Amino acid sequence: MKPLRGIRVIDLSDWLGAYPGRLFADLGAEVIRVEPPGGSARRFTPPLLADGISAGFAFTEAGKSSVMLDVTDPADAGQIHRLLASAQVLVTSQGPAILAAGGLDTETTSTRYPGLIHLAISPFGQTGPDADRPATDLTLLAAGGLLALGGDPDREPVRPWGEQSSVIVGVHAATAALIALLVLESTGCGQVVDVSAQEAIAHSTENAVQYFDLEDVVRRRAGAGPVEAGTGLFQCLDGWVYLVGGLGGRPLAWEAIIEWLESSGVVADPLREPRWQERDFRCSTPAVEQFRALFEGFAAGRTKRELHEEGQRRGISIAAVATATDVLDSPQLVDRDFFRDVEIGGRALRFPGSPYRMTDSAADLRIGPGPIPMQIGTPSLRNASAHPLPVGATA
Amino acid sequence: MTGPLTGLRVADFTWVGAGPFLTKPLADHGADVVKIESRTRTDPIRLMAPFRDGVPGPNRSGYFANRNSSKRSVCLDLKHPRGKELALQLIAESDVVANNYTPGTMDRLGLGYEQAKAVRPDVIYLEMPMNGVAGPYRDHRGYGLAIGAASGLLELCGYPDRPPVGTGTNYPDHVPNPLHAAVGVLAALRRRRHTGSGCYIELAQLESTVNAIGPAILAAAAGESVGRAGNDDPLAAPHGVYRCAGTDRWCAIAVNDDAQWVALTAVLNQPGWLARPEWSTAAGRREHRRSIDVALGAAMADRDAVRLAGQLAAVGIAAAAVNDARDLLSDRQLVQRDHWATLDHPEMGPSIYDNIPYRLSGTPGRLRSPAPLLGADSRAVCVGLLGLPESEYDQLASEGVVG
Repeated sequence: MKPLRGIRVIDLSDWLGAYPGRLFADLGAEVIRVEPPGGSARRFTPPLLADGISAGFAFTEAGKSSVMLDVTDPADAGQIHRLLASAQVLVTSQGPAILAAGGLDTETTSTRYPGLIHLAISPFGQTGPDADRPATDLTLLAAGGLLALGGDPDREPVRPWGEQSSVIVGVHAATAALIALLVLESTGCGQVVDVSAQEAIAHSTENAVQYFDLEDVVRRRAGAGPVEAGTGLFQCLDGWVYLVGGLGGRPLAWEAIIEWLESSGVVADPLREPRWQERDFRCSTPAVEQFRALFEGFAAGRTKRELHEEGQRRGISIAAVATATDVLDSPQLVDRDFFRDVEIGGRALRFPGSPYRMTDSAADLRIGPGPIPMQIGTPSLRNASAHPLPVGATA
Repeated sequence: MTGPLTGLRVADFTWVGAGPFLTKPLADHGADVVKIESRTRTDPIRLMAPFRDGVPGPNRSGYFANRNSSKRSVCLDLKHPRGKELALQLIAESDVVANNYTPGTMDRLGLGYEQAKAVRPDVIYLEMPMNGVAGPYRDHRGYGLAIGAASGLLELCGYPDRPPVGTGTNYPDHVPNPLHAAVGVLAALRRRRHTGSGCYIELAQLESTVNAIGPAILAAAAGESVGRAGNDDPLAAPHGVYRCAGTDRWCAIAVNDDAQWVALTAVLNQPGWLARPEWSTAAGRREHRRSIDVALGAAMADRDAVRLAGQLAAVGIAAAAVNDARDLLSDRQLVQRDHWATLDHPEMGPSIYDNIPYRLSGTPGRLRSPAPLLGADSRAVCVGLLGLPESEYDQLASEGVVG
């Protein structure tokens, strides 16, 4: 049995809350995406694939079915409420004012559906002075504090790729909803799960808040990490590698790095001077520049994969800085049969496999992306009454 | 006080970054999470800054503390036969076993899935190897940003005209890997309720992190080019982070339509911008975004970031000051929602922890206690939970096997 078999999820979220439903669908839940007339705006958000469908939409909607309903139309609203009466989980990702305008504020849903989990994701939470403040990925990352940590010191703070605020809040929200599901199936009681993206992002700022609290230090953006000889990004023939020859304390695999350089004719003996064992020296500008010149001279004629595999063979912590295309060709991921082909518009589209693999006595539970709803409002709700595992059946 | 997961027990062999953020939400919602630690191989994060008053010590790290609220700590020498036996006894009393050691470590210790299943047939057993428990890169080393690099995340994050910078954090450790793992464990618990069966869960941190940039993988597979985009949005402009008055103060702004653009010019008192035909449409603003950035930067340079963001938000524009850690602690929304919790730690004193970033209205979680001192609960777990006689505990403690 798939872990979430028998669970029905009604997904009324926007961009911010689309990921949990995808995780639930992978795990065996029936997830019904409700789209407004004309379809979700996310269907048309770049990057677009050849069929004109959005890569972001395809990624988060795989495995969901789609119905087209207008929350502002009374007849359609009735249909939504019939769906909610049959579901265990409702997912929204708007602030309280927008939810109230659609008749889906948490007070209404919790009163009307006491056995429903309302996973109420929102930019700032359902309460508080900023609850209805407008927000996008960029402004949420700013408000939550992650943006302040990203970027070079001499440039503006820079956000990560790919609307990570939706990933951050999405994984927390999915965790929270599953805790509520365990409660629902043991007590029959639903509840509101109020998830704030700003808080989830603040929760992701590593040790920055503790640095201020304990040592009175405000962490600032520092590029790709602290500057230390032997550690960081190094340019090679076809991109960059990320090498860790030290991280604050003692150098790591230092002799192995020297031998590697010498094996290809680089005069690396100066790196054996005792001062390279000292962190203060390694963090000095001359040390950083001397090491970079040596290593990049050596790396210039080698590809990132060659450097990665040969360095690892020598016990050195080195990784290719992979592009998305490199990831698709990763020997490790290919060997592990990680990618899944999902049919889209008559062609196979390559998806990352699930974040986790589950086995029970050697039986693969086959978690993974399902088909993408190409057309808005398909397939039909024919099986709307099917409940293989009614609430509380075997809890 | 109890929580929604009261009655659940986790034998928590995780350490450093990713694992402890998986067991934290379980602990904060009532599960009895017992960290199995070592006095000789101390969890490295216990020795990572920041420390209370800057003074290092295994019970003074805020980095460790924030990830380990509501948990217990037992020290066992897993290489000693009695230490291993006690660990297996703990596993027998646990619903979930989790570790993020390098592949094969738990098997070598005699604490692998098969051994765990022998003493606890319905166990849910999670492993979090970097590259997976199999495959040609299984035994690779990876410190620092290695997972971000290998997963494609690092390469995509930064300015288009400079080398990648990533997120400035060990993002995979804080976001996708622990929380994907939490989802897997909780889903497996739900399945066990219905089937009676536990399972083995492998979360390869590389595979989990690739999902954080899933759309980029889809686009690349379809032959589309994807790359670093800085703060640009594919459709909206202006869309960026602009310097304001003060030292290193910034405001993030995203203008999505014509009405917001008109409102922006009003707030910034720049009626002349509306007279520029190339800025009059969304497509035009996107095309000429760099010239808008220059004008916006000049118009905002003397403004207060927080006040300006508030003025823009009031007229419907998404805007926020770029909060640093100090700002986060006084942010009115985070404060109003009690996002920051102060827990009185026996050695660190009152210290700030992230609260749970969500509220369950019926069965809320709670940070029940600060991070445990190293081995604080060794006696309580060995004697109280596992039934070891006090005298034997004292004997083993004197030999360094427990305690």
